[in-house]
Amino acid sequence: MYSLKTALSSLGRNAVMTIASIVTIACCLFLFGVFLLFAFNINYIGEQVSSQCELQAYIDENASPADEERILSEINSIDNVKSVEFESKEQAFENYKTQLGAEYSEYFRDMNGSDILRSSVKITPDDLSRVNEIEQNALLVRGVAKVVNREDIIRKVISATDLIKFGSLIAMLILLITAVFIIQNTIKLSVHAREDEIHIMKFVGATDSFIRRPFMLEGIIVGIIGASIAIIVISFGYTAVVGNVAGFLDIFRLYSFGQLALPVAGGLMLFGIIMGSFGSRTAVRRHLKV
Amino acid sequence: MIEFRSVTVIYDNDIVGLENVSFNIEEGEFVFLVGKTGAGKSSAIKLLTGELKPYAGDVIVNGITVNTLKNRKLPYLRRSVGVVFQDFRLLPNKTVYENVAFAMEVVRAKKKDIRRKVPTILSLVGLSDRAKNYPNELSGGEQQRVCIARALVNSPAIVIADEPTGNLDVETADEIMKLLMDINKMGTTIVMVTHSEKIVNDAHKRVIQLESGVVVRDEKEGGYNLDVLA
Repeated sequence: MYSLKTALSSLGRNAVMTIASIVTIACCLFLFGVFLLFAFNINYIGEQVSSQCELQAYIDENASPADEERILSEINSIDNVKSVEFESKEQAFENYKTQLGAEYSEYFRDMNGSDILRSSVKITPDDLSRVNEIEQNALLVRGVAKVVNREDIIRKVISATDLIKFGSLIAMLILLITAVFIIQNTIKLSVHAREDEIHIMKFVGATDSFIRRPFMLEGIIVGIIGASIAIIVISFGYTAVVGNVAGFLDIFRLYSFGQLALPVAGGLMLFGIIMGSFGSRTAVRRHLKV
Repeated sequence: MIEFRSVTVIYDNDIVGLENVSFNIEEGEFVFLVGKTGAGKSSAIKLLTGELKPYAGDVIVNGITVNTLKNRKLPYLRRSVGVVFQDFRLLPNKTVYENVAFAMEVVRAKKKDIRRKVPTILSLVGLSDRAKNYPNELSGGEQQRVCIARALVNSPAIVIADEPTGNLDVETADEIMKLLMDINKMGTTIVMVTHSEKIVNDAHKRVIQLESGVVVRDEKEGGYNLDVLA
């Protein structure tokens, strides 16, 4: 009770620094939250991508239906191929039109689908790490003109997102250190204001943990308020962003905030508390050496 | 009660605070620690409260060897040693009652005990009617009485008074001395640092004189005259 009362009155006394600390922690934890949501979704998309990862073997324009059948069966027998699906020229043309949408339908009115695109075989691999091997073997099948391996693109996307993840991690670490530094200074002001009190406490035999407690509590309160602000902003912000982005990212699904609420909110709160208590502990340490 | 065994204190800048100092103070004694500035009085007091560790020798307070005491155990030693400061060191935003109660709160005394003991101590130091006043509303002597009450409230076996009358006029100093003598009569061991010749000469108590970190005089019912042996 003594600790809580003292902590609250100290926070009130240094209102400006307290607000500065809360805002810094909130900003830092907001970025941390964004990073967490980003990481969760990247992994989620990665899973979706992995499950969709397929190769497409385009068949020579002059291949007969019998050739197509043979090619399909030969590809199917390649080691590590999970399944194959044939897509005729006509189907490919129809799919292409659907993809572009109704507004371009006029351009295709006079076109004959069979003259424009090639038939192909969609190959789903068993093991993603052996996609290149399938590609090489599929190219050896007579009548296969070209094999498109989407794995390259996926790998590029994943390595790009890894880079973004790493960058945001560094930015977050810098902010984290800044936040701890600012909390430290806030608590130092409280410590300074109560220097005489601490000195007397030491002389009448108060334990270090008893002296430290109000300051720790002060830091933890700052951490909790900062984390709460970050969680509220993130929950609204994320829901809004996902709502807007969902239209562009037709092919991938993103987590809803509800699905990530527990790990993200829990993580932010935990970090807030750790930062607050660590900052105040280091701030008060020097003053306990009496 | 207090024992210094061949205690030597050397500060970081190689200045010798105390050199091979040995003395015993028995339970219930009243001892003056005298000497010129820099003689080693402060070092001796800091050793008693565990603020300072000796370079060599042992400091034993109330059966506890202070120099080997772990830092986390230091608070428990300090609960048995009350300290009275020359500059009072009262908390300006707390009343007289709160200043004294504070010393009990921070050692986690029960509220019931605090409510019972603080008025008793305030009555002992003659401040019952000033309980609700703030330090800036008190005279120097009254402030020192609050400081003494605070030092006594946790029932320490030893009270260390570091020039408690240094900031007071002669008359008030006499009152404070009378109070300390009364406390001593109740059984509390008192070690008092002072520069006041009158106080030492009037009290007829044991005097330990330090000079350049060395005990040069240890007299029962001694006087103040620093030049006697110097």
